Amino acid sequence: MKVPFLFLYLLLSLQSTAQITIGGYIKEKSGEPLLGVNVFIEGTYDGATTDINGKFTITTYETDSVILAASFVGFYDHKILLDKKTDNVQLEIVLKEKINKLNAVVITAGSFDASDESKRVVLNSLDIVTTAGSTADIPGALNTLPGTQTVGETGRLFVRGGEGRETKTFIDGMIVHNEYSPSAPNTPGRSRFSPFMFKGMSFSTGGYSAEYGQALSSALILKSKDLAELNRTDLSFMSVGADIAHTSVWKKSSFSGKIQYTNLTPYFALVGQNIEWDKAPTDVNGNFAYRIKTSKTGFLKVYTNLSSSEMDLYERDIANPDVLLPTRVTSDYLYFNTSYREVFSEKWGVRVGTSFTESNDFASQAGQSREEDISGRHGKVVMDYIHSDKLSVRFGGELLLRKGDETLINDLGQSLDGGLDETITAGFVEAERYVSSSLAFKAGMRLENNSLVNEVVANPRVSAAYKLGEKSQVSLAYGTFSQAPSNSIIYRFNAANQEHAKHYIANYQWLGEGRSFRVEIYRKDYSDLTRYSDEFTPSSFSFDGDGFAEGLDLFWRDSRTFKNTDYWVSYSYLNSERHYRDYPGSFRPPFVSNHNFSVVAKRFIQSIKSQLGLTYSFASQRRYNDLNEDVFLGGKTPNYHDLSFNISYLYSNQIIFHAMVNNVFGFNNIFGYEYADRPDSDGFYASRPIRPPAKRFLFLGILITLAKNKSISQLPNL
Amino acid sequence: MKKTILTAIGILCAAILLANGGQFEKAMAKNIPAMYQASDPETLLGVVNQLTRIGDAEANRWEPYYYAAFGYIRLMTMVESNEDKDKYLDQAIAAVEKGETIKSNDSELESMKGYVHMMRVTVDPASRGMQYSGLAMTSFQKAIALNPQNGRAHFLLGRMQFGTAQFMGGGDGGACESFARAKAIFESEEKDEKSIAPSWGLRGTNSAIKEMCEGE
Repeated sequence: MKVPFLFLYLLLSLQSTAQITIGGYIKEKSGEPLLGVNVFIEGTYDGATTDINGKFTITTYETDSVILAASFVGFYDHKILLDKKTDNVQLEIVLKEKINKLNAVVITAGSFDASDESKRVVLNSLDIVTTAGSTADIPGALNTLPGTQTVGETGRLFVRGGEGRETKTFIDGMIVHNEYSPSAPNTPGRSRFSPFMFKGMSFSTGGYSAEYGQALSSALILKSKDLAELNRTDLSFMSVGADIAHTSVWKKSSFSGKIQYTNLTPYFALVGQNIEWDKAPTDVNGNFAYRIKTSKTGFLKVYTNLSSSEMDLYERDIANPDVLLPTRVTSDYLYFNTSYREVFSEKWGVRVGTSFTESNDFASQAGQSREEDISGRHGKVVMDYIHSDKLSVRFGGELLLRKGDETLINDLGQSLDGGLDETITAGFVEAERYVSSSLAFKAGMRLENNSLVNEVVANPRVSAAYKLGEKSQVSLAYGTFSQAPSNSIIYRFNAANQEHAKHYIANYQWLGEGRSFRVEIYRKDYSDLTRYSDEFTPSSFSFDGDGFAEGLDLFWRDSRTFKNTDYWVSYSYLNSERHYRDYPGSFRPPFVSNHNFSVVAKRFIQSIKSQLGLTYSFASQRRYNDLNEDVFLGGKTPNYHDLSFNISYLYSNQIIFHAMVNNVFGFNNIFGYEYADRPDSDGFYASRPIRPPAKRFLFLGILITLAKNKSISQLPNL
Repeated sequence: MKKTILTAIGILCAAILLANGGQFEKAMAKNIPAMYQASDPETLLGVVNQLTRIGDAEANRWEPYYYAAFGYIRLMTMVESNEDKDKYLDQAIAAVEKGETIKSNDSELESMKGYVHMMRVTVDPASRGMQYSGLAMTSFQKAIALNPQNGRAHFLLGRMQFGTAQFMGGGDGGACESFARAKAIFESEEKDEKSIAPSWGLRGTNSAIKEMCEGE
């Protein structure tokens, strides 16, 4: 009796596990069949992969209603609810393409992204370190990109007819004041921030995001590294000093610190200088970074940079070169930055940042002196809202407090004090919309109020990009930008109007396998620039100056044509004039050169285990004001040439030797002329050319890595 | 009679239980070798998709993703264009990361991650070499730190060391030492045919030793 029941049960259970088949066809919107789509019944192993005709057949024992899912890279998942007993169905499924960040159009107008994360970049941060002539200085390497002008006596980034101060640096979104280390008069300063601290940088030569303000020409946006992976200690000994760096890693946090001591005394003793040094520059610089993962998606970064430097030298009097004028430059600097990010959901994320700057700069020469204290505070909150992969919105607010205090003392002992106490409140919103993976728009608005002038400025910024083909795209950008005038103006007249600029940019980019090309044309209109007849007399100030810059930037990079060789070529044409300061009309400013050209080449030579780098830079004539001529800014410097060479020899995985020489051929570069304050008895102003402190700069260094694991390679730092 | 019926029911229940509970092992036992053996991209992608399905259906097994990642690496070697290669490597990394959400700080997953970085170098050594060789090295180091007895981590590290040393102009860069360590570990391990835990590497190590460390 019971046996037949069992058989019945067996039979039933067999029947209930009878298989059914689900078949179908999967295609794109265009009708093209998709090969390799993973089609499956959710929650089970049952599924199939589409063949070359987009066809699939699934056999399953599931007879309840099931969810059939189709999943394919670059497309949205597609799900269908199938009712019971739908044996032998034939489905037709159309998959919708995702806006894929890898092949979608990217708005590139105005910006050069250098990052270790994305594969489709023009430059990565290592390129910065290994560029000959850059001496691992971020602005030094960026000066080989189009859109920059060689202004060798400052070492700063002069972008598209903008002054050096019109380029602002941001670390993890937070502003940095006073980012260059001090230098002797008319000698280049370096950025205080080591490129090794950053995983990515975006150098924008115009048209940048509404998130960034108080920069008329350019934004250098640096992203610091995330959690370190391994414990390590690095030591460097250089012809100019030494440093020690250490990284400790814990489960969810890491700490990196670097202390650097620079002293140029031994170097100057060996290599003759145009400057007579009493005490060659010395600098102690500490960089400390702590990172902690606060949750699965939350991350906190704390970063600080401290430095102290001093130098004493003798400058010769221009009129009487036998008279030595004792000169002293000192600087103390503290920068502290925190940034926190958290993702609340798939749609919402937040970034909160604070930064804090305290700096003191002092310079004196033969009884005259200038001392400036700057203290800056910056707080910012940014919300990211991702509506879909086609629409995202970013908005936020920030508060920038800046106090400055300047004391000038002239050779008669008279002093002039100036101060500023500025509060900038700003809010911004920016939306990015992808119409398709070939067409994208970005529109943003920034509202800013500066307490000193108490005027709300609205800065709209829009950009668009269209993909022409698999490798090429065009972008357009427009935006308005504002910035407070230079501190020296505000110290004399607190309510000095903000200066404004409008950018128009059109860009074409082609990114091929190992090769890239871009060309950009732009126009920039300045308004409300400060004019004066005497910079110390506020009553002579007016804020109606103007100017323009227009030009063309070309960039070509190729790492493919020549084996183990990577090179890039940049050319910039710039035409720019300004009517500002004490200019009697519209003139080309001294920092502008019409043509800038550079070639950077790097080659790894296996047989000598070395990377060689070569950089050639050219800048056409610059103007200077020849006081002995009637023509304003009528003097012309010779063209500028520089050929720099570097070599990095990998002695072992832990030891690297570096050598670098700039201006190998000793070109006689002159950046301009400076003149005596008063004419001599014949009414003639004595003059002297402004030159580099030495014809060549030579750098030698050895880098040693100590790590528990011997095979940690220095190669990535080469 | 009753006893027979009870026995039969018992056997039946056990069989049903086994059939369900062993489903994962059975599926893996079929797909792991299929992944190694597939010789054309279409078949391989089919297997990788199957592994992904298993991974998605099982909430707490990292192995399917591990083998899916391996499959994507194999796929990457079968295609020509760099864009396709990158596409598969991106998916390989995504699979490793899925595995990591199930088991974090796992030596096997970490070495697989390093493997992906290593293959990234081969796509374009000139422009990728510096960055990705560093990442690969870091992953292998970390994998060894997590489990010094992971033979695959030593083997892959050896391959990276050799590649780097060759690129740098010769020598083995410590590769042979790593291979020897890997070999010793593999040979001391007991073979468990049924285990789905990663067990590959001995053959590759042997041929690497033969090719790179012996002869001349």
